[in-house]
Amino acid sequence: MAPTKGSSKGGAAAGGNKGSKSSTLSSASRVSKSSKGAKRPPPVEVKNKARTEKENLAKKKKRVYTEAELDLPKLNSITPVGVVKPKGKKKGKVFVDDQEGMMTILAMVNAEKEGQIESKMMKARQLEEIREAKKKEAEARIAEKKGKLEAVKDSIRQKKKGGKGKSDDRKTTSSSSSGSKSSGKGKRKSVSFA
Amino acid sequence: MRALDETETRTMFTKLASYTGASLSNLIAPPAEGSATTERMVFRLVKDRVFYLPERIANFATSIPRDSLLTAGTMIGKFTKTGKFRLNMSSLSIIAPHARVKCWVKSNGEMPILYGSNVLKAHVARWSEDAPEHSGCVIFNQNDTPLGFGVTARSTAEMRKLEPTAIVVFAQADVGMYLRDEDTLFTT
Repeated sequence: MAPTKGSSKGGAAAGGNKGSKSSTLSSASRVSKSSKGAKRPPPVEVKNKARTEKENLAKKKKRVYTEAELDLPKLNSITPVGVVKPKGKKKGKVFVDDQEGMMTILAMVNAEKEGQIESKMMKARQLEEIREAKKKEAEARIAEKKGKLEAVKDSIRQKKKGGKGKSDDRKTTSSSSSGSKSSGKGKRKSVSFA
Repeated sequence: MRALDETETRTMFTKLASYTGASLSNLIAPPAEGSATTERMVFRLVKDRVFYLPERIANFATSIPRDSLLTAGTMIGKFTKTGKFRLNMSSLSIIAPHARVKCWVKSNGEMPILYGSNVLKAHVARWSEDAPEHSGCVIFNQNDTPLGFGVTARSTAEMRKLEPTAIVVFAQADVGMYLRDEDTLFTT
């Protein structure tokens, strides 16, 4: 320990020994001096002590972490999330009273609105087209159904017509043949209440 | 009384722009050479109400204590506590000349509107072409006198197919309010 550290006293002793011939010599002379015991350099011990001193401890605490560095959950911090205001920003409102500023805002708002309306119109047009197409389709389907129905009706009518001719013949024949029968049947017994 | 800040200006213009077209910029444009009014018009906020007035009067108004100042110029509307903007009846004279969507009502439809009811299809005489759904609309009578404003219930294309009793404009304000809401229209 002691030999490595040079002290003023050691240096002075070296100077005393005919200047500085070589480092080994001087160190040797120092060792020989320290071996005498009584004169130990006090600053070495002071340095060792200093680490546990209060002043040094305070120096260690120099690094202060910001809240962002600590990565704390936001809700646990003292100030709520919404309340935190950006630092270094000027307090208060920024008034828009000049014409240019107002015009800029108005132009932006107008452009935004135009875009919205345009998209709305486009959407409405598309929907309208779809609706029209659906309507046409439905109409075509109804017409087709109606056509089918008409066809069926016609076929039934034709069938009936064909059948009617036969039935008429039958009727005429039956009526002619059963003419005597019907006259006979005309005197049916009837019950009436007075 | 103070000028509007950036967000307030944006909110107000967004609302106005839903009723008016691009000609809204005439409201704040510098006075043209040789026009009748040579004064610059400004918007001013008193408590939560926005007024539209010449700059000269706005400057005069600063000499009146804040508590004593009731109104100055034309009231456009007011800011709600949630930061939205509501147009007032008195803004009709400002938005009517620049209206984007217009609706003219027949004479038989005037009275129902002035009593605060919505506009029915049967009352509509004319209607702006290509009007989208839910957009601001100014209602006129057949002499082109603005009666009120509202929001369209249907687009022009859809409106054609509606039955006569269907609502086509949801009324928001009408000139009848000057009588109906006389007590509360300008209370602060």
